[in-house]
Amino acid sequence: MEFREKLESGQFLITVEVAPPRGVSWEETISALKPLKGKVDAFNVTDCQRSMVRMSALSMAKLLLDSGYEPILQLTCRDRNRIALQSDLLGAWTLGIRNLCLMTGDFTTLGDQPDAKPVFDVDSVQLIEIAEKLNSGRLLNGKELNGKTSFLIGAVHNPFAGPEFLQTLKLKKKIEAGARFVQTQPVYELKIAEEVHSLISSLGAVPLIGLLPIKSLKMANFMKRLNPTSIPPSLIDGLERAKDPVLYGWEYTLDLARAVSEFGAGVHFMLVGKVRELADFIDELRNNRREGP
Amino acid sequence: MVTVRLKPVEEIVKSLKPYRKVFVIGCQLGSGRCKNGGLREAFKVAGYLELHGFKISGVKSPGGTCILERLDSSDRSLIKEAESSSDAILSLACGAGTQLIAENVSIPVVTGVNTLFIGVERERKYFDEYCIACGECVISETGGICPVARCPKSLVNGPCGGAIAGKCEVDPSIPCIWYRIENRLRELCSLETLKKRVPLKDYRASVYPRRLVLED
Repeated sequence: MEFREKLESGQFLITVEVAPPRGVSWEETISALKPLKGKVDAFNVTDCQRSMVRMSALSMAKLLLDSGYEPILQLTCRDRNRIALQSDLLGAWTLGIRNLCLMTGDFTTLGDQPDAKPVFDVDSVQLIEIAEKLNSGRLLNGKELNGKTSFLIGAVHNPFAGPEFLQTLKLKKKIEAGARFVQTQPVYELKIAEEVHSLISSLGAVPLIGLLPIKSLKMANFMKRLNPTSIPPSLIDGLERAKDPVLYGWEYTLDLARAVSEFGAGVHFMLVGKVRELADFIDELRNNRREGP
Repeated sequence: MVTVRLKPVEEIVKSLKPYRKVFVIGCQLGSGRCKNGGLREAFKVAGYLELHGFKISGVKSPGGTCILERLDSSDRSLIKEAESSSDAILSLACGAGTQLIAENVSIPVVTGVNTLFIGVERERKYFDEYCIACGECVISETGGICPVARCPKSLVNGPCGGAIAGKCEVDPSIPCIWYRIENRLRELCSLETLKKRVPLKDYRASVYPRRLVLED
């Protein structure tokens, strides 16, 4: 069953992030995912995340597809104008890529080529509109395509960003523009997961709660710098006390994933390492859900 | 106003190397206001050039360097004076003013500044970019605050997910402009205007070079 069908039939969804390699050797990136084959519903291929050059997400998505993994192509507004975006989207559809996750993207100066010219011709809401337009069989300028796309469009939301009123408004705009699922920034508290889940659902999209295991205090502090309110003091406390912070952070995330699976539509793991453990966890999660009421 | 920043004097000296007699022109509009290319700086640079062996044939400012009649009028022509007395002109006006000088003289014109942005001035100290002259102004909808110029990503449909605790993701020392927009629109009781989706911008309005022609 494809990701779209699972989403439409209300199945609990598990997506995982895959960063394309920095270079031309891709085989290892794909073979590392092997334990997740048939367990994860779709793989988000990141688009030069944190503004650092990696292999094209489009190429990587196609390589995943050819290797039997269903990709979600991430596309940002940072590096392409509306012509390039439409062109890449048509190319992606032609290559068999069916799922998109569309976002503004990190700014150029935050990456390792800060001297690059940023584009931002369109924003995330407008990019979703563009993809919807292609789905209707037309280009942005109204010209008819020789066949329409039928992308399943996703978006992102950061529950820790502000101002809250405008973030919610923007989320609403994304969903009204055509986003069917929304993946969130990493969440570390059940209460926040519940709140953001109910917000996204109430606006009419399927929420996938973002999860990123914390491996160390250093990483926790880094995450805190990005989203100061996202890391609860109890997590910091636990990491400080833990003999094995990696294990602690991992189990913390899995506990949250279990809790989300009780009420949620799905989770989005933003990690590639620990695939074997993740595969085992997914088995456990799915078995428990099946046995549940 | 257009803001500029004086180039390092060593750089100015280097670009003037082939010449001996130099006329220095400052500008009292943008360059003067931001204290990087007004008459005061023009004299300062001239003094430095003299120390480096240049002969200074004059130091003047026409006021607004980007207005041709200030540079060249029937009763007083600054550019003719500069041209006839020098091997080269050093202009501290913005890129526009400097080009206007250059196209009206037959001697080389060297710029002594980097032209920065269209901004506002506060306390004679702070200069902030407020406008990128995009040609399609949206500020009537955003409480008189421009997200195109003042959000690094030029976002028009609301803030990005990197706007944390009121700060900009790109430069945490500046506020996320969308907080200001929200506050302003709350004061004005017109938050409603932000609810509709803003369509894609028509960048034809900012294809340069642009021209404005006044009707007779």
